[in-house]
This record gives sequence, C-alpha cells and structure tokens, in this order.
Amino acid sequence: MTEDSQDRSHVQASRARERGEEAFSPLVDIYETEDGTTVLLAELPGATPETLDMRVDKGVLTVSAEAPLPEVGEEYTPTYTGFVGGHFFRAFALSDEVDREKIEASLEDGLLTVKLPRAAAARTRKIQLK
Amino acid sequence: MTSLFRWPSGWDPRETVRYMQREMDRLFGRAVAGDPRRVGGGTYPPVNVLNGPDEITVQCELAGVKREDIDLSITGETLVIKGTKRASVEPEDVRFQRRERGFGQFSRTIVLPDKVDADGVDAELKAGVLTVRLPKSEAARPKQVTVR
Repeated sequence: MTEDSQDRSHVQASRARERGEEAFSPLVDIYETEDGTTVLLAELPGATPETLDMRVDKGVLTVSAEAPLPEVGEEYTPTYTGFVGGHFFRAFALSDEVDREKIEASLEDGLLTVKLPRAAAARTRKIQLK
Repeated sequence: MTSLFRWPSGWDPRETVRYMQREMDRLFGRAVAGDPRRVGGGTYPPVNVLNGPDEITVQCELAGVKREDIDLSITGETLVIKGTKRASVEPEDVRFQRRERGFGQFSRTIVLPDKVDADGVDAELKAGVLTVRLPKSEAARPKQVTVR
C-alpha cells in the first residue's frame, strides 16, 4: 500500500470506529454482589490501559479499546489464522442507582474489571419492627 | 430488586446470552459451547500460526487467564496448550445478569508446519495474548543451493 492509501484507510477506519462499526463486541460477564455492587468483566485481549477508553455519558457506559496483535515481521506467512486484532466497542445503559463517582476499573491480562457500586440511598435497607 | 443495567421488559436475557455466545463462537471460530465447564471443546484458545524462515510464531488469545494456569508442551512438530480459565467468583455468591465468557479447562493441540527445536522456545503472555516463538530445527530451515 502506498503511504497515501494507508493514511486514507486509517482515517476511514477511525471514522467507522466512531460510528461503532467494524468493531468487535467483547465477551462480558455481569454480576451483582451481595452489597448491591454490579461488576462488569470484559475480555479485551491485546488492550492496555493506554489504548483503553472508558466513559460514562448520560447514563451510558462506553468501553472502547484498540487491541492490536503483537507485530510479526514480514518474513512470516500465516499458516492458520484463528483470530485477528482490532477494535473493541460495547456500550451499556446504567440505571440511576449507580453511584457514578465511585466507579472503579482495572485492566489486567486483557481482562477489564469495572465495579459499579450502588448509591447509598438506593441500597436495600432492612426495616426493623419495634 | 431492580438491576443496575436496564433491559427491555419481556425479554429473556438467557436467550440473548445464548445468541451472543453463538455469535462470538462463530466470530472467533470456536465450536459452539456444549458443557459450560469446558471452554471451547478443543478450539479454545483461538490461535494464529505464522511460518517464518527460521522460526514459527504461534499467537493465542487467552484474555483473563493467569500465567500459572497455562501449560505449554512441545513434542517434535506438535504444540499443546492446556490450562484452566478460572471464574473470578463463586457463582453461588453472586447473581449473574449476563454470562458470555467461558470458564473451565481447555486443551488445544496444534500441529506445526515444521519441526522445531524445543530447547529454544520462548513464550510471553502480554495483555491476554500469548506469543510462542519456536525456532525451527536445523534440518527444517531453508538453505541456499548453488547451481553449478
């Protein structure tokens, strides 16, 4: 590819990514712990904290990450291709009960862990009988 | 108790999980999941095999798997990748709203395109991608032949 056509395809690819196209949807597990905290686990193989973009906007949590495969020299020919690198994207609607200030996240070994605590006011409270 | 993620009403989340699992399996070339305790049924982890003149490189997708849970062994022309992908919590302690990731024991056997030198193999796990570099044994490397 010429320098020119490479630049053009990069620009096209990033525009497409912004629209959420050409992106892999990461596998996720979502569970709720006893204290009402919701935990989201997303598989993002190849993503590092530098290439991860996570934001909450208008109640939507967006996870977006560049996940390239490690570079391999031109002298290699693919004998078998089972997976490719690329762009991960997935969005989740959060309920109003999430305490957005207290969201915590970590990325390790390609696994993103997001902890979304329930706001104190929204927690289940036992009512005592007198 | 309302969930922290909104779902449209009247929609069975289990059906979507199964659909997504099938879609992901198809996308990543995995066999459709049967036993939930075993991951992939022989096609997990997904691998790439790249053949160079002096070395074969194998890449594996192992997001969320720890180094100590991966077992690599080489015999002549075969590479076996085995291990365990652990669930992060005991299912009894939490309430799952969505469960797409597999977990359990996995084992994948890869027949390499050439014989390799088992002593010189290097394996590195980074960001959930395992890269195994296998130097070819002397006889397998291309050699220049001068035409008289």
